[in-house]
Amino acid sequence: MPAATASGGGARAEEAAASSSSAPSCVGMRPEELAARLAAAGGPGAAAGDGGGAGGEEGEQERVLALREIKNQIIGNRTKKLLYLRLGAVPAVVAALAEPGASPAALVQAAAAAGSFACGVDDGARAVLDAGAAGHLTRLLAHPDEKVVDACARALRMIYQSKQAPKFDVNNEKNMDFLLSLLDSKNENVTELAANIISHSCDSNTEQLALCGAGVPQKLVGLFGGSMNLRDACLDSMTAIIRDNCDVASRFASMDHGKYFRSIVGLIHDRSPRTRLLSCLCLIALGHASPCHFPDRQIKTKLILVLLELIEEPGNVGDEAPLALTTLIKDSVELQKQAFSTNAVVKLSNHLLANSLETRRAVTILFALAELCSKQEESRSQLMSGQVSTLILDALKHDCADIRVAACSCLKNISRSSKVLSAGRISCDTVIAPLVQLLYDSSTSVQIAALGAICNIAVNLTPRKSVLLHSGVVSQLVNLSKSMDPTLRLKSVWALRNIMFLLNPKDKDFILKELTVSTLSSLICDSEHFVQEQTLALVQNLLDGHVDSVNYVIAEDGMVLNAISRQLNSASAPGVCVQGMLVLANMAAGDELNKEAVMDVIVPHQADRIKSSFVVNFLQSKDKQLRVATLWCILNLIYPKCDTSSTRVTRLQNVGVISQVKGMMNDPCLDCKNTRQRLAKEKLGKGALHRDVCREP
Amino acid sequence: MPVRVVDTATPSSQPSSGQDTNAVQPTPPSCSLLTAGRCFAGTQNVSSLQKDEAWKVNVRIHGCDLEQGYLCGTMEALNVPLADTPVVTFWEGEIVDAKNYTFFTGKWEASPEDDVRHWSKFPSFTPLLSQVEIDGGKSVDLSNYPYIFMRWKEQYFVNVGVDCGLTIAGFYYVCFSCSDGSISGFYYDPNSSPFQKLELKCTNEKQSGFTFSSYELQ
Repeated sequence: MPAATASGGGARAEEAAASSSSAPSCVGMRPEELAARLAAAGGPGAAAGDGGGAGGEEGEQERVLALREIKNQIIGNRTKKLLYLRLGAVPAVVAALAEPGASPAALVQAAAAAGSFACGVDDGARAVLDAGAAGHLTRLLAHPDEKVVDACARALRMIYQSKQAPKFDVNNEKNMDFLLSLLDSKNENVTELAANIISHSCDSNTEQLALCGAGVPQKLVGLFGGSMNLRDACLDSMTAIIRDNCDVASRFASMDHGKYFRSIVGLIHDRSPRTRLLSCLCLIALGHASPCHFPDRQIKTKLILVLLELIEEPGNVGDEAPLALTTLIKDSVELQKQAFSTNAVVKLSNHLLANSLETRRAVTILFALAELCSKQEESRSQLMSGQVSTLILDALKHDCADIRVAACSCLKNISRSSKVLSAGRISCDTVIAPLVQLLYDSSTSVQIAALGAICNIAVNLTPRKSVLLHSGVVSQLVNLSKSMDPTLRLKSVWALRNIMFLLNPKDKDFILKELTVSTLSSLICDSEHFVQEQTLALVQNLLDGHVDSVNYVIAEDGMVLNAISRQLNSASAPGVCVQGMLVLANMAAGDELNKEAVMDVIVPHQADRIKSSFVVNFLQSKDKQLRVATLWCILNLIYPKCDTSSTRVTRLQNVGVISQVKGMMNDPCLDCKNTRQRLAKEKLGKGALHRDVCREP
Repeated sequence: MPVRVVDTATPSSQPSSGQDTNAVQPTPPSCSLLTAGRCFAGTQNVSSLQKDEAWKVNVRIHGCDLEQGYLCGTMEALNVPLADTPVVTFWEGEIVDAKNYTFFTGKWEASPEDDVRHWSKFPSFTPLLSQVEIDGGKSVDLSNYPYIFMRWKEQYFVNVGVDCGLTIAGFYYVCFSCSDGSISGFYYDPNSSPFQKLELKCTNEKQSGFTFSSYELQ
């Protein structure tokens, strides 16, 4: 899911950096001529008149005119930027910045042109950086002419807004001193540049601590009184310094008895929508990094209300506000309840219904609606009953992949509820058919998102599982379970596991024929333990209530059972072991042959006598689920009482399993204790467990 | 500070004064016999003064979220007079865990007296009675208690209309035994026969063992 960002300077239109009155001598000149004239006017020897270039004052004037004309042509014009890039104009522009004797007018025009090349075009930013512009522009921040300083600061801001710009190492002492000097400048263009540099460069814990230790947060808050752009840039930097850093966030929140914190809270009601958004984002970052310093429920409610209002704003602010709301309420039942009570579902739905699906805002609103439904039953019910549910289904078929992903996310979270699944409203053809179609999507992200929704909807708790089964989903899930992408493998197996839950034997057979024993065995031994775990849970569901399914497990020389045995013996991840033991428990609930097959897995063969059974380790595990699953397996092996079960008890006793069970009398887990008690109640007259149990106090 | 019950079947009480009873939230009890997919079968006694009558009942758990004290499922009544088919209802349950829910219902026309009168029908409730009378059981640690107390409230008819002549206005007081998976319950509806008893046993226990199945939502 995309993250909410609202870069302080990023949304500002490319600005004309200096006065731009066109010089008559260059107006209308073709780009090729202009580039050639600039190259001839600048560079070594140009002043002396070598190579056909003009010399002295005349040459300098010609260079200023050429620079100004190029700058005027490229500002806001991507095509022209690319054209001049091809003509090699950037090195000539940067050369003007490097020249010791360059006039302030030439420097201003060159800086503005360099900044413009770097703005919004990656190749331009790369060319400007490769020509060494950043160093020259930084040096010129100390120029005595204020216009030069302004132009250079603006150009550097554009460069630092590009992802191509290198990080500014604030862990370097000299760099930090330089940054602090920029923040102390009286020139707002320079202080805004400092804020941009921080936003661009600060992303590690140590950098955040270094900036906090140097007093940068206080300086940034101190600049809130400046222009709107400066304030926004400072808010953006504050967010970068605080994000995911509990230490910095808590230090900031308690600075000067919360004075700085309150300054940011005050800005959520600012006149400027962008400032309101940025202050919300800063507070959200603060709340996530240090929840204990942000317990005020009222502020959180205000944030929700402000963000819901901002959705109505045009442009970037309105697009980003739903993502900020998503970030705010993520994983919090309390905040999702609050958002629901402020009518968030209705407001977001209405906005979606009133506008086109063609916008980025539609994507971000769908993600916000999805988050509102991630834990709240009321939100799910409201979203499903509204007109917007039809729009979500339309969005599944939209041309834009992001829209399709966001719509899948909504459906996934709506169906994250046993109540919704029991009602069966979501497991109808109108929902399932487009979702299954998305499993064939050319975008992997869309496939993964569709699998998320199908995983949940697959748990069809109504008797109407046939809609999904007859949709062609099984064969595509089987195909995806063989994908090279581990997430696709995981989610497709997960969906098959959920489909298999309480399925009738005939449909279980249908799935197994598509999946094959050989694929099942490979998936049990998959390189990813999450895939192994889901596959074993699938086998568990296959065996539950369908005794004949054991044939699949022991078929083809016991390929599946051998794979399970290998996983359990190699001490796999706890989740894998739990599911593996539940498979064996289900198998041990079958006939004598099945019980003996399980015994062969858990009791080492004669040759391995020195090796104890992995079951003993599982019974000693810290994972209570593993202990419980293992106890159930043992219980099923010795149940019901008969001669063969007594023999199994003896075999289990010989490998130390029974004495381990005996020692679990005071297991801290009630479920373990209860299962063990059931074991004890199996009155196995000839068995060792019985004798052990009789001796218990 | 709650005290863990080790060997006795008596729940521990948290100190009622001088300590913050909200400081520790006991985790609700977990039991492998009370999970999604489990099925139970038995009867509901609907006898009145006029005649003895019992309906066969099947229950299936559809979802269980111990953290939220929530579970849900379906209930199927098999030999309901005047009904052509078995009547299936969907119900949602509240688990009494002293965190999400207490023994006091506080809704569905059930007063604390009604609550105590019904809970007291379960022998396993006796050790809790005195504390529940004081605070509804807010300060009782049930995390290791071998019984799970719940309320099940039917929400809608799954396969018949509301005009089927049956009512789901009331709710069940339910007690689940973690040791054998049996369920006892009493239906409460001020307008129906009092203390209709529900008795269910887990049906996942096959002739030669107990089986498991599970699903997981994303």
